[in-house]
Parts: sequence; structure tokens; C-alpha cells
Amino acid sequence: MTHSRDETRPPTSRWKAVLTDVHFWVPLAALVAGVLVLRWVGRS
Amino acid sequence: MTAAPARRNDAAVPLAPARLQTLQTLGIFCGLAAGAWLGGAEAPTKLVTIGLSPIVISLGMVIGVFLARWTVPALVQGTSSVARDLRAAPHLIVWAVLAGCLWAVANTLTIYAVRDVGLSIAFPLWNSNSLLGIVWGIVFFRELRGATPGRWMAVVGGALLMFIGAVQLALVSAMHMPAMDARRGITAALAAGVLWGTMYIPYRKAYLTGMSPLSFVTFFTVGELATMLALALGESGGLAALGHDLAAARHVLFWLLLGGFVWVIGDLFQQYAVKYAGITRGIPLSNTNQLWGLLWGILVFGELRAAGSGAILRVVLVSIVMAGGAGLIALASVEESEHRRWDEARARETARYGVDPRFTSARAAGADPDAGAPRRRAVDWLIALVATVTLIAFGLMAAAPQIAFSGWAMMFLVVVMVVIAGACGAALWRRTRFN
Repeated sequence: MTHSRDETRPPTSRWKAVLTDVHFWVPLAALVAGVLVLRWVGRS
Repeated sequence: MTAAPARRNDAAVPLAPARLQTLQTLGIFCGLAAGAWLGGAEAPTKLVTIGLSPIVISLGMVIGVFLARWTVPALVQGTSSVARDLRAAPHLIVWAVLAGCLWAVANTLTIYAVRDVGLSIAFPLWNSNSLLGIVWGIVFFRELRGATPGRWMAVVGGALLMFIGAVQLALVSAMHMPAMDARRGITAALAAGVLWGTMYIPYRKAYLTGMSPLSFVTFFTVGELATMLALALGESGGLAALGHDLAAARHVLFWLLLGGFVWVIGDLFQQYAVKYAGITRGIPLSNTNQLWGLLWGILVFGELRAAGSGAILRVVLVSIVMAGGAGLIALASVEESEHRRWDEARARETARYGVDPRFTSARAAGADPDAGAPRRRAVDWLIALVATVTLIAFGLMAAAPQIAFSGWAMMFLVVVMVVIAGACGAALWRRTRFN
């Protein structure tokens, strides 16, 4: 059984799928917030 | 956004109920094993002398984590297996790296939290990550959907029992700690909890798709190391200054690297727990690490020695409550109605990203569709050699720990951890070949 990439899914479409996925934006937002808290904690 | 033609899920193979039960039980076992090793991972960092920058401590641990996250997969499955997973689902590299970044920032926050409010208070606060993880599991991955009210109560109630118990443990411990900067430390600990709780989104996404945890962590650790290096360079003021800080800490780096290795073993068990038991069961069970941390603290490092019998009794009772919460969760098995919802979440991933549903369903069953492919190559042995040489080199430079501890108690707990890892590892191999 092979599991090669789906030929109907070009790279640009895959990137669009990533950038419109809420599963991407929620962790990214948490990361940005975490870095800001870290900067505050480190400097206070 | 217009998606490419979605894949039909009719090539997916349904999971037999008996196999589903076996894998869920395995996931529960992995969650408990994760608790033992994640609890033990804190011990080496306690051996580090005070005065090191939290960033340097975190970076030292992440270097150990990086070595372990490549060594273990290379030895267990071989990097060729990692390459196969990536060909099947290349988009998951994004989530693996993102998860690694989250972990690195959270880990650094915990160092500040421990410095400011102590481990006893910080630990339960950052362990709130399990409650947030449960929320994300329900909202994004349909966990507990279709479950009976009894199972909802068992999972949510069990997690709340564990959290309340953890806070009670913290209050007992805090009575014997000097006052420190509470606001900063509590903020750091809670923020770490939010980051770690959100990190489970990439985990669950990857494992629903079918990626092996061993493959996931190899790219996860790229995010970890890159983020830690960026943070360390930013704080120290440049490469030369960072190099100077690391050189000054060379006598204790071995203990941090060791902590990283121990952490990775626990983290891998946690990954398998999320894969086979879901976030809602796997993560709260791995948060029994606090009970193990308590054992290390009391038995090995003599914490609470000055506490009265009332405080000790309270610790024992609260620990029983926490263990009861974990037991409730462990018994809340996933019924077919809920598992169908997991299949819906899985179908979303295969449709959105064009992943072969046969790959996804085979991996959900703990199978390797390419079982005949070559396992280990020369590069795998080279990775193991580099990690071994690095550990030995830092071990030769290491200074004796600057803290009193009981060697016998440490040996006992290490033996228990090894036995647990051996049993759980053997079960994973027998049932899933680590897929």
C-alpha cells in the first residue's frame, strides 16, 4: 500500500488549507500571547 | 476558501470493538506511565545550583530533549519510518514545529514560576493544562461527543478532582515555603498551563491523521530548539554571550540534559496516550505526574520534613482524592457512539489535506501499512552515537549535585520508573509496533 501525496492537492492549495484552519490560528495566538507574557515575566 | 476535491472516506476501515478497547486500555496505561516519567523529569533540574538564568536552564534541558527526540525514534523505528509518515501527511510538519515552539515557551515560563513561587505551587497551576486540553478536545476533535452523561461526569469530574486536589497540595506545601513574588510566578505558571493545554491541538490533529508519535516529535523538537535558541540569544545579547553563559554552566549541563532525556520518555508515553485514549483521557492521566513529583520531593529530597502530622495526613488524603480522579477518568472508556465522532474528526483531516484514508484508518488501528519497509539505516546509528558521546562528554564534566538527597530512595523510584516503562513499552510494541 503506498501513501504518496494526493495529486489533486497542489502545494498552494495545501498552504491555503493550513492558513484557513482554526487549528493553526488558535495555537499560534497562544504562542504569541505566551511570548508576550514571557517578556513581561523576564523583565519585571 | 475553496478546497481541492475532498477525499471520500469510504476507503477507511472501521475499527473492531475489541481492537478499539485494547487500544484505549493501552492509551490509559501510557497516560499513567507518562505521569511517572514526567514527574521524575523534574528531579534532575532540582540538582542544578541556584544562580543560573532560567533561560540557560531551559536551553540545557531542550538540548537534552532534542538529542532524545531524535535518538529514540531512530532506535525504535528508524528515520525511514519518519520519512514515510511525512510523505503521507507533509502538512503536519507545520503543527509539529508549532507544538515545539509552544512547549519551549511554556517550559521557560515554568522555570520562572518555580523560581518565584516554588515547585509545589507552580506545578498544580501549570497542570491546569489538562482542563484546557479537555475543552479543546471537545470543541475541535469531537471528544466526549456522543458519550453518555456518566462518562462526561467521569472525565470532567475526574479532571476537576485532580485539579482541586493539586491546589490543596500546593496550599499545604506553600505553608512551608518562604514568601516570593507570587503575582509574577502565578502568572507564569498559568500561562504555561495555557500554552501546554493548547499544544494538545497539534498532537491530536497529527494522531487523528495517523502520524506516529515517534515521527511527530522529530519535528516537534526542531520547533523547541529553534525557539529556545531565539529566546536565549535575545536574553543573553548574542552568540558570544550565550556561549559564555553555557560554558559557565558546563558543570551542571549534564543534569539538565538528563532531565531532558527523562522528559522525552514521559512525553512519548503522553503522545501515545493522546493517540489512543484522546486528549480527554490521556492528558489528565499523565498529570498524575504531580503525585510522582510529590514522591520525589518527599522521599528523595526530604521536602515536608518540617511539616506536622496534620499536614502529612492532608497530603495523603488529597493524594488519594487525586488518584481517585485519575481512576474515574481511566474507567470512562470511549463507547462506539463517541468513537464515531472521532471518525468524523478524522474524516475532516483526511478530506481537508488529501491524506489517504486507508493510511489514516490503518494507523488508528495501530497498524503499519508498510511493515515490510527497511527499519534502521546508518544515519540512525550515527544519531544514537552522537547522543551517547554528547551525554558522556557532559557527564565527565559534571559536578556533584549541590543538594542533599537520599540515594536509596532515588534508586527505588528509578527502578519503579524503569519497570513501568518496560511494561508499557512492551505493550506498545506488541499491540502497535509503536505506530
